[in-house]
Order: sequence, then structure tokens, then C-alpha cells
Amino acid sequence: MSTWKRNLLAAPVLLWIGLLVGVPMVLVVALSFLSRDNLGNIVYQFTLDNYRRVLDPIYLRVFWNSLLLALLTGVITLLIGYPVAYISANLPPRRRALALGLIMLPFWISSLLRTYGWMILLGNTGLINNLLLALGIVDRRVPMMYKFGTSLVGTAYMLLPFMVVAVFNSVDKLDRSLLEASYDLGASRRQTFFHITIPLTLPGIVGGFTLVFIPALGLYFVSDLLGGGNTVFLGNLIHTMATRGRNRPLAAAFSLGMVALALLVLSLYWKVSKDKSGEALFQ
Amino acid sequence: MKAKTRGFGTVYLSLFFVFLYLPVLSVVLYSFNASRSTAQWTGWTLDWYRQLFSDRAIVEAFRVSIVVALLTALLSAVLGTFAAVISLWVTSRMKTAIQGMMILPLIVPEVALGVSLLFFFNAMRLPFGVLTLVLSHSLFCVPYVYIMVRLRLQEIDRSILESALDLGASTWQMVRTIILPLVAPSIVTAALLCLAMSLDDVIISTYMSGPRSTTLPVHVFSMMRVGVTPKVNALCTLILIGTFFIIGLSQLITNKRRFAK
Repeated sequence: MSTWKRNLLAAPVLLWIGLLVGVPMVLVVALSFLSRDNLGNIVYQFTLDNYRRVLDPIYLRVFWNSLLLALLTGVITLLIGYPVAYISANLPPRRRALALGLIMLPFWISSLLRTYGWMILLGNTGLINNLLLALGIVDRRVPMMYKFGTSLVGTAYMLLPFMVVAVFNSVDKLDRSLLEASYDLGASRRQTFFHITIPLTLPGIVGGFTLVFIPALGLYFVSDLLGGGNTVFLGNLIHTMATRGRNRPLAAAFSLGMVALALLVLSLYWKVSKDKSGEALFQ
Repeated sequence: MKAKTRGFGTVYLSLFFVFLYLPVLSVVLYSFNASRSTAQWTGWTLDWYRQLFSDRAIVEAFRVSIVVALLTALLSAVLGTFAAVISLWVTSRMKTAIQGMMILPLIVPEVALGVSLLFFFNAMRLPFGVLTLVLSHSLFCVPYVYIMVRLRLQEIDRSILESALDLGASTWQMVRTIILPLVAPSIVTAALLCLAMSLDDVIISTYMSGPRSTTLPVHVFSMMRVGVTPKVNALCTLILIGTFFIIGLSQLITNKRRFAK
């Protein structure tokens, strides 16, 4: 009885999460099995149509675009971010604090502003084109906006700090004596890096990948502003269907598809990191 | 050999920071360009800033954003702190459950959260506006308050709490006079983070905004879709200055705490 009473303290928290995540998610699952009439009103009749449409080649293509974008974002941020994290973590204390501060600062800067910055850099009359013209490297303005690659640059740029911080934390925990032992036993720097450093920082790598992959699935304002809708991603599709398209059941089915992709990566994270709650991701 | 690698490290880091801040700096720089186009630089001006203040839609969106951010920060600070503090009393199974639930809104893709809340509030016939915005923003803010306060609670020496109880303090007295003052700096820092996150949110806010209650980011997003205009640059620069003001505040609080120790 007394433990029951003590647990009653958690009621407001349970209510909050239950009402704002639990019930809405159940609603999405239910909606995904319903259909709609021509005006966009929900028709209460069980159907698997929405899932059949999700598997339609045209829509599978959208899944593939999003998956590819998220995977490439993960790989690119890792390739750029790992060295940054590794170098920063090994700096002397004062410069290390400065580097970490500069890495974290973008978390506070408006994400729209950071996307907009790329519109200014990559636009037809943008800074990079101005520079290339002025230097005589090109004689005509090079179109760089509204491509898959533009969305990729923007998404990777947006999420890069998450990767760096995740890897930084695990490099920081790395036991230096293991590296010295490896050198003492005659291993080269390269061998030590691939056989000791990488495996030991794997939790950070996988954690960073998870933190980058999940938002990359849904940063639709980045692909909207930089990709111009030329490549359709899940986020844009769901947004259009839920609002202007007025096809809420289909939007629900696609949202669940997105959640499934996120769970896929999370299960990988849980397997590698053994961080059961997933809380370590956000510290 | 060692000096060489260090040299490489410095160069690589410098290049990385140029890459990280170049887009931000270009936005700021071009907010002062007299020309409407980024194609050329025709001199310095403050005209674009002047235009902002006469734009009613922007001023109104800014007002909505500030109200939503303040309410979100307040709600999240209370609920997040509550969840962290009661974790000291509930059973360990409940504690794990709370931990898991706090992570939930952070790992579900934001688009899916936004869509589900859109359907839910629609079904509840709740009018879209400040209320729906605050409730939805609390989803990604409360967990951060909870995590930051809990980390601070772990640092507290348990014996202080026990001696308070031994000396006859009631549980509520202990919470009020010992626990809350000790975690207060973490609560304030977390609340400022909530303020910044709420002011910056685009994805959930697009689904939650009502016809007459658009937040600033949602409005800025619609302006950006039209293309690059110096007015947007000026607006972004002002938002940037505002954010730096918040960071300055939070730094001040953290440093004070460090000196107090």
C-alpha cells in the first residue's frame, strides 16, 4: 500500500506523457487503418489500403530517398566529425574548452538561420558563385541549389554538432594507457587507431549515428528550402498529406513508417551500447 | 612527427570552424547590404532592420513566440523538476519507467509527434494556438529539465538529506529548504535551454499554429520559401543576437555557481 501511494506521486508525469504521446500515437495507429472521403473526412471503415499505398513503388521511392539521406548524413557527419572530436578531446585544457564551446554554440543558433545561410552561399547569385566568377574559375553561374546534394549538405551541416559531441564524450572516456600499451607492444599508429581506438569509441559512434539519423528523417524544412521539393522525402510528404493534401489516414501510415525506421536504428544502438534507457544519448 | 600531427590537427579544426560558421556569418553580413540581391555588395545600410519593425505580421509572430516560449519554459521547469525530485521516492521500477517515458518524446521523430498531436488536438476540438503550442513544446523541453536536474541530484550528498529528516524536518520542508535550492541553478539553465528550443522550433510548430497565432519560426520559414531577401537576413540577425543574450545569461548563472562552490 505504501509503495503504491509513493508511486502515485508519478501520476502527473504519467498523465502528461500518456495524453501527449500515448493517446496521440494510438490515434495515429487507428487512423492508419481508416480511409477518407473526397473532402478529406475520415470514413470509419477498416482498410489496409494505406499500407498498400505505402508499398506502392512511387511511395517506396520516397522511403528510399529519406533512408538514403539519413544514412549518408550519418556517414558524412561521422567522417567529418570524428577527427574533429578526436583532435578537440586531445587538446590542452584551455583550448579544449574553447573548441568544445565552438562545437556546442550552433545548438543555440536558429536552425532556420543555419539553413538560410546555405541558401546565401549556394544560390545562383550566392557567395560561392560570386567568388568562382570573380576568380575566373567559371564563366557562368553554376546551379547548386534544389538538388538532392543540396538537401544532404544542409541536413549534414545541421546535425554535425550532435555527432561531434557524441564522439567527443566517448573519446574523452578512452583509457589512454591502453593506447600506450598498444604502442609499447609494437603496434603502429594506424593499427592502434583501427584496433583499439575505433572499437573503444564505438558506443559514441553508434550513439552519434542514432542522434543524427532520426532527425535526418524528418528535417523537412531543410529539404524544402534547399532541395526545393525536387526530391520528395518522407517529412515533406507527411507534411503535405496531413495539411494541404487532407489525407490524414495516409499521413498516419507514413508517420508509422518513419517511426519504424527510427526504431530500426535505435535497436542497433541498444544492441551496441547496452544503454537500456537510451538516456546516455541526451547527456 | 608529433609536431606535424598537431599542425594538421590545428589546420583541420580551423577549417571545420570556418565551415561551421561561414553560413551564419554570411547571413549577418548580408543583412547590411544595400542591394536587394546577394549578387553584389553596394554598401552598408540599416534599412532592412527599419522595415522589420513596421511589419505587423512579424511583430505579432514575435509576440506569440515569446509568450509560448515563456509559458513552455515555466511548465517544463515545473514538470521536469517534479519528475526528477519524485524519482527519489518512487519504487525503482517506477523510476525506470519515468526514465523511459522521458526519453520517448526525444526518440520519436518530430514529424510523427507533430502529426499525432495534430490529429489528437483536432479530435479533442482544441483550438490551435498558444495552448497547443505550449503543450507540444513541453514534449521536447520537459525531458531536458528532467535530465539536467537529475544529474544535479545525483551529486547531492545523501547524508545531508538524512540528517535533515533526523533533525525532524518533514519531507516537504526538506524538498523546499534543501533540495530545491541545491538544484535551482540547474533548473534555471534548463529553463533557458527550453526558452531557446521553443523559440527555435519549426517542425512541431507548423502543425500546432492557429490561423492567428503563428510563431516567429513558422513565419520566417514561409518568408524564406519565397527566396533570399535582406529583410529575412536582418530578422535572422536579430534572432541571433537575442539567442546570444540568453546564452550569456545561462553562462553567467553557471559561472556564479562554480564560484559559489
